[in-house]
Amino acid sequence: MKHLSEEDLVLLYYDEPGVAEGSKTALVHLAECADCRVAAESLAQTLDVCNEWSPPAADAELGRTVWARLAPQLDRRPAASTRRFWLMAAAVAALVVAAFFAGRSSSRPAPAITAGLSESARERILSIALADHLDRAQLLLTEVANMNDSDAAEFAASRARAKDLVNEGRLLQQVMLSQASGSEPLLDEVGRFMLEVANAPDSVNEGEIQDLKQRIDAESLLFKVRIIETNLRTQNAGTSGKMS
Amino acid sequence: MDARGELAIEEELTIKKAQRGDHDAFRSLVERHTQAVFRLAWRITGNTIDAEDMVQETFLRAWKQLGKFDGRAAFGTWVHRIAANCSLDHIRSRKGKMDGVDDPLEHLAHGGPSPERLAQSGEITGLLIPALDELTEMERAAFILRHYEGMPILEISRVLGVETGAAKHSVFRAVQKLRRALEPAVSGLR
Repeated sequence: MKHLSEEDLVLLYYDEPGVAEGSKTALVHLAECADCRVAAESLAQTLDVCNEWSPPAADAELGRTVWARLAPQLDRRPAASTRRFWLMAAAVAALVVAAFFAGRSSSRPAPAITAGLSESARERILSIALADHLDRAQLLLTEVANMNDSDAAEFAASRARAKDLVNEGRLLQQVMLSQASGSEPLLDEVGRFMLEVANAPDSVNEGEIQDLKQRIDAESLLFKVRIIETNLRTQNAGTSGKMS
Repeated sequence: MDARGELAIEEELTIKKAQRGDHDAFRSLVERHTQAVFRLAWRITGNTIDAEDMVQETFLRAWKQLGKFDGRAAFGTWVHRIAANCSLDHIRSRKGKMDGVDDPLEHLAHGGPSPERLAQSGEITGLLIPALDELTEMERAAFILRHYEGMPILEISRVLGVETGAAKHSVFRAVQKLRRALEPAVSGLR
């Protein structure tokens, strides 16, 4: 084998990913060739001394200072991804149409909006809508699981969100009647929990919060939601990668 | 679950809250990542005032783009990408403004060390800083991202918006130039 180039040595020094096969051959050569070893050591010595250049310690309060200047410039809510918006818009449109037709004869032809989509596109839209639903459910479950007595006053906001999740979950379940995804039992479980939160009294007491927390623990709800949501996200990211 | 896993889940939830417009959640992300963003911005811009401005600009951009963050990369990596781009945009605009204009900073850089540079100690840093200044902005950024941030070349090419080959050659050229500049001091260490 010919001697290693400086570029080879730089890639080896940084243990650059994606050159593993080449690295093996290069490492074998390096072990056998004294000239290349000297060159590698010389390069390493030079690059190692670059580590002596370190930034000054930033002001310990920099995070707070930055926030103080930043906060007045922030909108109420960050902009949503445009791509995600269109995907969600398509999902909502498909779900609404599907829900409408679910109550009518199944022998009717599929509406144009769903007929225009391939099977895989429908599955993907459903999968994204489901992941987003579980994402919102996960957030609410986490909040309830971490609630303490002093948070009881904020429970009204959680109830409103739980009510939205109940409606959203029902819509998703209707679509799943015709398109099984394997997540129906979990969706059902989450729906029952959210219904309980949605129907909780205005002045929820500590005991009732404890009951809800115990239900989350006993049914491992949060854990299950997190796993399924992560799987869906991974699956969607993979599909997205293949599509792009 | 280990502490690292719990931290990752906690950060994921914080991000989701911030994506829904929760300013407190975003504040916690800002405070958590400020120091690392500062270090990167300082290395690219070369001074503390610009670096602090870049930290603020980075998080402002991050807020505006938060809806696009899909969790495929770690939040820290994503913010680093934004910080690298902000800092590069900044030095490009600084250079643009100074083109054809007498640049007092340029005189400082070549005529003698600034107070900040004087504060750097040792012969190596004394040679390294001017050598870094001699690199093109692409070479400097590529080297900093590779050497100090540990970013793979593929990722560097995405951050800098260039082909992988171009990013790789920027790193190689930077290393060559730095070796030439540092060689006298390094050979003295042998």
